[in-house]
Amino acid sequence: MKRFSVPLLLAVLVVLPFLAKPYALHVAIVVLFSVTYTAALYAVLRMGYLSLGHAGFIALGAYACVILSVRLGVSPWLGIPAGGLVAGLAAWGLGALTLRLRGIYFSLAVFAFGEIVTAFFRAFDWFGGPAGIPGVPRPSFFGTPLASHFAFYWLVLAVAVLGIGLLYRLQFTRFGATLLTLKSADSEKLAESVGIPAARYKTAAFVVSCAVTGCMGAVHAQYLLFVSPQVFTFLTSTDLLIYAMVGGLASFWGPILGAGVLTALGEQLFSVGYWKTLVYAAILMIVILVLPGGLIDLPRRLRARARAAIAAPEVR
Amino acid sequence: MSRPLLAALTFAAAALTALPSSAQESFKIGNLSPLSGPAAAFGIGINRGIELATEDVGTFTVAGKQYKLELVPYDTSLDPGKTVAALNRAILNDNVKYGFILGSGVHGAVLPIIRQHGFFDIFMGAMGKEITNPENPTVFRFMASSDQLYYTFTPEIYKKLNIKRVGFMGPNNDLGRADVRMLKDVAGRLKGQGVEFVGEELVEINAKDFQAALLRLLAKNPDAIDTNASPTGTVGLIAKQARELGYKGYFISSTAVLEAKALVGIAGRGADNIVAYRIWSTSPTKLYQEIADRHEKKYKEPTLGTVWEAYAATRWVVEAVQKAGSFDTKKVAEQLAGSSFQFHPYGPATWGGEKSHGIRRQIQTPLPASIIKDGKWEPLEVRMGVLE
Amino acid sequence: MTLALLGQGLAIGLVNGALYILTALGLTLIYGILHIVNFAHGEIYMLGAMLIYVLFVALQWPLPLAFAAIILLAVAAGLAVERGIFRGLRGQWMQLLVASVGISLIIQSLSWIAFGAQEKNVPSVLPGVLIIGGVRMPLERLAAAGVALVLVTGLYWLVYRTRIGLAMRAIEEDEETARMLGVNSDRVAAIAVALGFVLAALGGAFVAPIYSLNPGMGLEAILMSFIIIIIGGLGSITGTVLAGLLIGMLQSIGALILGAEAAHVLVFAAMIAVLVLRPQGLLGRA
Repeated sequence: MKRFSVPLLLAVLVVLPFLAKPYALHVAIVVLFSVTYTAALYAVLRMGYLSLGHAGFIALGAYACVILSVRLGVSPWLGIPAGGLVAGLAAWGLGALTLRLRGIYFSLAVFAFGEIVTAFFRAFDWFGGPAGIPGVPRPSFFGTPLASHFAFYWLVLAVAVLGIGLLYRLQFTRFGATLLTLKSADSEKLAESVGIPAARYKTAAFVVSCAVTGCMGAVHAQYLLFVSPQVFTFLTSTDLLIYAMVGGLASFWGPILGAGVLTALGEQLFSVGYWKTLVYAAILMIVILVLPGGLIDLPRRLRARARAAIAAPEVR
Repeated sequence: MSRPLLAALTFAAAALTALPSSAQESFKIGNLSPLSGPAAAFGIGINRGIELATEDVGTFTVAGKQYKLELVPYDTSLDPGKTVAALNRAILNDNVKYGFILGSGVHGAVLPIIRQHGFFDIFMGAMGKEITNPENPTVFRFMASSDQLYYTFTPEIYKKLNIKRVGFMGPNNDLGRADVRMLKDVAGRLKGQGVEFVGEELVEINAKDFQAALLRLLAKNPDAIDTNASPTGTVGLIAKQARELGYKGYFISSTAVLEAKALVGIAGRGADNIVAYRIWSTSPTKLYQEIADRHEKKYKEPTLGTVWEAYAATRWVVEAVQKAGSFDTKKVAEQLAGSSFQFHPYGPATWGGEKSHGIRRQIQTPLPASIIKDGKWEPLEVRMGVLE
Repeated sequence: MTLALLGQGLAIGLVNGALYILTALGLTLIYGILHIVNFAHGEIYMLGAMLIYVLFVALQWPLPLAFAAIILLAVAAGLAVERGIFRGLRGQWMQLLVASVGISLIIQSLSWIAFGAQEKNVPSVLPGVLIIGGVRMPLERLAAAGVALVLVTGLYWLVYRTRIGLAMRAIEEDEETARMLGVNSDRVAAIAVALGFVLAALGGAFVAPIYSLNPGMGLEAILMSFIIIIIGGLGSITGTVLAGLLIGMLQSIGALILGAEAAHVLVFAAMIAVLVLRPQGLLGRA
């Protein structure tokens, strides 16, 4: 069963656009964005680093792509890896400065970075200023731009699969397992004492995470046909955190599940902004207090309960 | 069950449950505006304007069939990303072809979608020909535009109040930036009358502390500070802080929702000498007063600024649809642009903008100017010109 | 840039700095004692401001009664949150942080629903302006600055001169040993959180008449508080005071010379500089 589950998942995603209505495709696309960003965030979370500014990397990727294609006339296809490159480079620089900080210090540093990115794009007209930059072109496939939801979905799916695939490989290798040993300051020292170059490992993971985020950010801008400092904010970063926590931090698929469910739910609960936030926050609190392993842990818990009930039947 | 499979099924289920909403016999009017957050008063006002219009329109006939109005609200929080999502949902999922979209700043993102689907955009925002132009024939501005206000109204106000030195303190967004350019141009044209543009400060729309910006601007000794489309709270705070720094001149505001009570609550006596276009201090028509009374009765609070314009827009569009005999947005647009309307709470309404915007999509109605004296709005006897 | 302008700019900076201190104090306390970053801090601040509006303006209660009610409610809320949520998560800093984010979002969304979107304002009790040597300072801001001074002094006294303060410092230093020596760390934690909530609520209540109120104002408050405690040093009261004044002046003079946007970036840049060069903050302990 487990062997077939990933191919099965891919099959569902491939068949989906042929069965679903255009609006459902819009939801699917937005879910894919969310899922990718959250999976990337998870790569950093599992190292023990809480990034409160991941939206800044989405923005960097988005703006890089937009500047290249709108201001400099570069092909939108190139804009996507360019987004990843810019975000990755920024992550490398930021990581060099901040990965040696632990806990809340790192989080606040990345948060400050996110705010500076936003303020920077807001301040200069060439970058669109507060109004942003409209008219972002989409890539063309053999001459026709990917204008419809149906056509664009494939691009989003491709980037998502590649990105998440990369993150998967990052995690389920020796490299990925080693990252777990860097989770706290003490275990990091221990790891270093047996010769593991902790700083390099952490930087590599951080860079990959942000590069994937940046790539998807570029695609996101192409979807919206627009970018502005208001689109990817601190609130976006906290949303991603909530998705990851609700999904469950113990497994690679947890954050993906959390992102998928909450984003799809969120798109439906449209009417007024505060109800959506309230529901998200309530779900989060319930998970934290009652279901600490997250949603992904639910089947295991229910099975454990069932087993316990069978093994120790009530004495009447 | 394995996790990826669980993930996939949940995903698919969630995506496919994008349910369509109800079917034909209603004429759906969307409202894509901020319904939460600091600008919520604008969006909620539109909701209520539509609701009041619905009561008056009742059931109406289009090409032989009967229809009722149905309001479909979408909260955009004035965010472009959310507005795109809302418009997508409206057009593709909810079968909405007509709607109010509020915010000059969000239009950059949604105009391509509007053009692609021919969505009928009841545009509530001040930005001029960047949005209403021949490329966007289904976009109508149902409120005063910045260029009309600045070029035809502002000079009258300066003359009336003997204002010579003018400063600008508006929001740091595309509207504010476009408007300050216009103001400089207007001041240039009025040079002969001694008018001079002395300085500008662009402030963040959510900022609360303007002391530093005010210090810089006040050093240039303005007679009037143009606060542009800054929201009520901002205008109140600017007035309060400016008075604390010793400023005694006028403030000029072009925002749609500006309650004297709120301004006085924030700035106390400092609110005196705030001038506003688009705010009526006395009812211009019986309909205006009637709507105000109905609003107070139904919603138990003073009428929100956008209610009257939304009421008028809804009824006028319904009338245009009936006269066109179809819901085709291009046909209705042509019908609307050539018509005039008697049920606008501000007075008789028609369309203008052929010369300056290239197409008749700018509403023309009587517009007021008011000034706060002793904590209350009083009329300022000035008349606005017509946009050609 | 005349001297008069500079003088006014400095005055504005100092007074604003005091307001920032008032805003950040509660966060510093809770972090200082329990190493919990209480994200909900901004929302409690907002509630303090909203409650002043509801009790003093809408319901017309006398001011002292309104303040008493706010303090009592803040204590109750603090105790409830500590007992119900923080206590079970002690030691798991990520979960704690995200839990406090969750609490803040719940409070914020409920507040939008309860208080509505219209901006509220609390009329000034002290509307005048003090003019010294050409420099103008609004009285109500000076009053809030005075309150900041009182609260800081009170906090110093509590932490360094009372038994409960001693217990707090013991817990902060080494909780396990403190417990072994008989300190009831649960009770101390509860008191610390309750006190942090009270400081946040009072901060909001005193700043309320200066600016207008809306349920979104908590975000601004928490952002500013973060910046202050990062620069000043997480957990150091003196650091908070210093950082508050520094930021106030940096913003004011910076905005005067370079404009508001640039001043904004300057503040964030200062924050990153501190984090990189001296991560524990100016006066924090490593």
